[in-house]
Amino acid sequence: MIELHQVHRDFLVGDQTVHALNDINLTITAGEYLSIMGPSGSGKSTLLNLIGLLDRPSSGQYLLDGEDVTTLGDVQQAHTRNRRIGFVFQAFHLVPRLTAAENVELPLILAATPPQERRERVAAALEALNLSDRARHKPEQLSGGQRQRIAIARATITEPAVLLADEPTGNLDHQSGGDVIETLERLNRRAITLIVVTHDAELGARASRRILMRDGRIESDKRTDRA
Amino acid sequence: MFTRDFLRLTGSALIAHRLRSFLTTLGIAVGIAAVILLTSIGEGIHQFVLAEFTQFGTTIVGINPGKTSTHGASTGVFGTVRPLTLEDAQALQRLPFARAVVPLVQGNAEVEAGNRRRRTTVYGVGAQMPQAFSMQVKSGRFLPADDPSAPRAFAVLGSKLRHELFASENPLGQRLGIGGSRYRIIGVMEEKGTVLGFDLDDTVYIPAARALELFNRDSLFEIDLMYAADVRSETVVKGIRNLLLARHGREDFTITTQEQMLDVLGSILNILTFAVGAIGGISLLVGAIGIGTIMTIAVNERTAEIGVLRALGARRAQVLGLFLGEAMVLAALGGVVGLVAGIGIAQLLHLLLPALPVHTPWLFVILAETVALLIGLAAGVLPARRAAGLDPVEALRGE
Amino acid sequence: MNGSDISRFAWVALRGYPTRTLLMLIAMAIGVAAVIVLTSLGEGARRYVTDEFSSLGTNLLIVFPGRSETAGINPTTMMGETPRDLTLDDALALTRSYSVRRIAPLNVGAADISWRNRQREVTVIGTTREMLAIRHWELAQGDFLPATDPDLATPVCVIGGRIRSELFGARRALGEWLRIGDRRFRVIGVMASEGRSIGVDVQETVMIPVASAQQLFNTPSLFRILVEAKSREAIQPVKRFIIDTLQARHQGEKDVTVVTQDAVLATFDRIFSALTYAVGGIAAISLMVAGILIMNVMLVAVSQRTAEIGLLKALGAAPRQIIVLIIAEAFLLSSLGALLGLLLGQIASAGIRHAFPVLPAQAPLWAAVTAVLVALITGVLFSLLPARRAARLDPVLALSRR
Repeated sequence: MIELHQVHRDFLVGDQTVHALNDINLTITAGEYLSIMGPSGSGKSTLLNLIGLLDRPSSGQYLLDGEDVTTLGDVQQAHTRNRRIGFVFQAFHLVPRLTAAENVELPLILAATPPQERRERVAAALEALNLSDRARHKPEQLSGGQRQRIAIARATITEPAVLLADEPTGNLDHQSGGDVIETLERLNRRAITLIVVTHDAELGARASRRILMRDGRIESDKRTDRA
Repeated sequence: MFTRDFLRLTGSALIAHRLRSFLTTLGIAVGIAAVILLTSIGEGIHQFVLAEFTQFGTTIVGINPGKTSTHGASTGVFGTVRPLTLEDAQALQRLPFARAVVPLVQGNAEVEAGNRRRRTTVYGVGAQMPQAFSMQVKSGRFLPADDPSAPRAFAVLGSKLRHELFASENPLGQRLGIGGSRYRIIGVMEEKGTVLGFDLDDTVYIPAARALELFNRDSLFEIDLMYAADVRSETVVKGIRNLLLARHGREDFTITTQEQMLDVLGSILNILTFAVGAIGGISLLVGAIGIGTIMTIAVNERTAEIGVLRALGARRAQVLGLFLGEAMVLAALGGVVGLVAGIGIAQLLHLLLPALPVHTPWLFVILAETVALLIGLAAGVLPARRAAGLDPVEALRGE
Repeated sequence: MNGSDISRFAWVALRGYPTRTLLMLIAMAIGVAAVIVLTSLGEGARRYVTDEFSSLGTNLLIVFPGRSETAGINPTTMMGETPRDLTLDDALALTRSYSVRRIAPLNVGAADISWRNRQREVTVIGTTREMLAIRHWELAQGDFLPATDPDLATPVCVIGGRIRSELFGARRALGEWLRIGDRRFRVIGVMASEGRSIGVDVQETVMIPVASAQQLFNTPSLFRILVEAKSREAIQPVKRFIIDTLQARHQGEKDVTVVTQDAVLATFDRIFSALTYAVGGIAAISLMVAGILIMNVMLVAVSQRTAEIGLLKALGAAPRQIIVLIIAEAFLLSSLGALLGLLLGQIASAGIRHAFPVLPAQAPLWAAVTAVLVALITGVLFSLLPARRAARLDPVLALSRR
């Protein structure tokens, strides 16, 4: 479902061109559980942003479900992000002045989903993550693990096909990090494609397909078949 | 996105920074209040002056001797070689559209009745004056329609002069001395008040021919002609001009219609109102800069939030709209508060100083609120564009 | 922490947010510049009008026929007629005081003038030679009215510069005979181009001896008598003298109005000063709005720099020092803004003076000083709340937040 062909991404730093991504060819099929690892500056976050349509390749082609999304305009890109892609960030990025439920509701608000339907879906999403009693809380009243799970609920409320997680446990202690990973993997088992970028070798090893990046290239791409 | 959600998002951002929003709103409110207050006073004075002028009716044309010179004022009043005469007035009466024609001579003389004396304004007029200037006789009657060249020595008193000379006595039938001649009082006018500095009650009205004699003049000050309401003023002016041209052989008179005067007066007062409003508007400009500053700060502070919105599928236009919306809500709220304050202070001023007329037309209210919204829009554009133009990757990396 | 440390600290803080700082500077500058420009306009108008009135002459008194019960000038005394006129003899009687330097009777009317086939209507002033000295007029060519007996109706006239060019074009006007109304007058002088004063444009007038004017307009009366007192101190005695003299001549009736130039000047001065104050005050509202803006932004700055303030406190800064720092920042901001506004305002005033040379638009010193002071005080006053808020921050909380 995700196909990258000869993708390059160059940045201009001062008067030097930095090749953040160098000739990336990658095919990800629906329902895969993929981890991207590598040292800082290896290009893993750039790759994730590119897949998430937050960034465009300098050259190369990106097919999402067979459709070339490289050249999509701002409006279509935004629409695609809204419907087909979910993001989870290291810093959670919840809107501090909105309640948990309102944060989860945001993508539906942007998509102009009718209020009645919104309410039901948000309630269901919070219920599924055992966060119904936190619905009226502001982010600052929640623990880190709870915040990240709210962020996951927000990322998945539009039922996207792909969930992109950038260091989802980076700001969490071991216990809540485990909770968050379990939540993500449970979603993956329900056929969502899960892509996790991480430093954490232990976390990376849990994925069925592990990509290691270095200097903007894919160094290794390993799979383990899971029963 | 639904409007309601839009407003809720905007509102939540403003409520989250209550004090900041309040102060920003206050800035606009002070500006709008200043503009509304000043234009209310300007408009009040405008209406007051117009009312003063139109109380004599609007279908009046004034004819003065002498051609208007370059500096606008007719010099004819001081002394002129070609007079405007009682015969001219009589001729004007024969014009088909003339409802009333009043010859006018004005002067200052000492009048005496019994042993009381008073220096007062003397008007030499014609019998049709009450009709032309919509004035009412309180008791007795006005000057009769005698032969204009040899009228009887009758006088009609203004209400103030009547009190000064006769107090509670009945003045009708009494004798009045003006400049050595004797007049019989046949009427007293209703109170009229002061109009633009002229006390219309401290006066005595006598026939124009006798006033000319009294002041030793051969020219009238002015002839006022009231025309039928259904006749166009251009027709009236043309008719008068043709008639007087035929009589005088050349244009040595000036015709001023009430309409012209009101137009000139109205435009002067409008410019004045506009000018004070504009001066007040300077603070509105400063308020707009305030909104711009606060919105710039807000965009900086909420970079990450903008990144998230974009990641969640918000279009650039939606981000732009959200920040513009915030700026406009701030400005609109400030506008409403300013309107209420401005109108309130204007009315309060009116209560404290009843002499100061105030008036806030609906047009100004709508205009002020529109201006406030436009200010929000203008002040919000740059910060909002900055927000919409943020690279989501950059925005999310920050902090 | 000494003064230079504090100002450097404030400067660095402001430089950290250039957009915000620039916007606040502009806001403050607009307020100050508005006050400067508007008061300079008001002051310019005041000076223009008082100069015009001063150019009427010095130590001048003006006698009007007629008097109303309510004191002062009112429209009726300005234009009305009275049964008993001011006469030339009345005017001459006024010279019999030691305190009176000179007098000039004045008659004004409109009449047609013509030369060969050219014709137009002009304002005709009937007066005497003294008028030239009283009004400080100057002649371009020839001489003013002759110093003969005022009763003598000499057929001579002095014409304004514009009338000269309209009637005679490039030809010589002196010595030519003009027709005014139904009489003929010889041109003996042409007025110099300057000499405009309120109401009457000398360029558009023809001046003839007062007795000739009385014949022309067929009237024994005068329109005004101008009286010049010997000195400023003599003005009041002269006024009393005029009233007494004319009362005696008019069978005991007080039927004239005497207006002193000083009184008129003072009235105009008052009106325009009030106008200047009002306009300046209205413009100053924008300074208040700018003050609110500074307070707002300083509040934001305090909450944004919570950690920084916490650190300062942890390093041993006293609350008083924090307050001083925040106020210094606001003070720097408003003083820079005020200076910028002062500069802009003065440039704009200079622009107005350049565009309209007749209008001496120059902001009075009090306005400039007040505008800058108000700007500074507003800046400091409105930063008190944010400063106190900063000083009260709990250092532990301030440092722990994010």
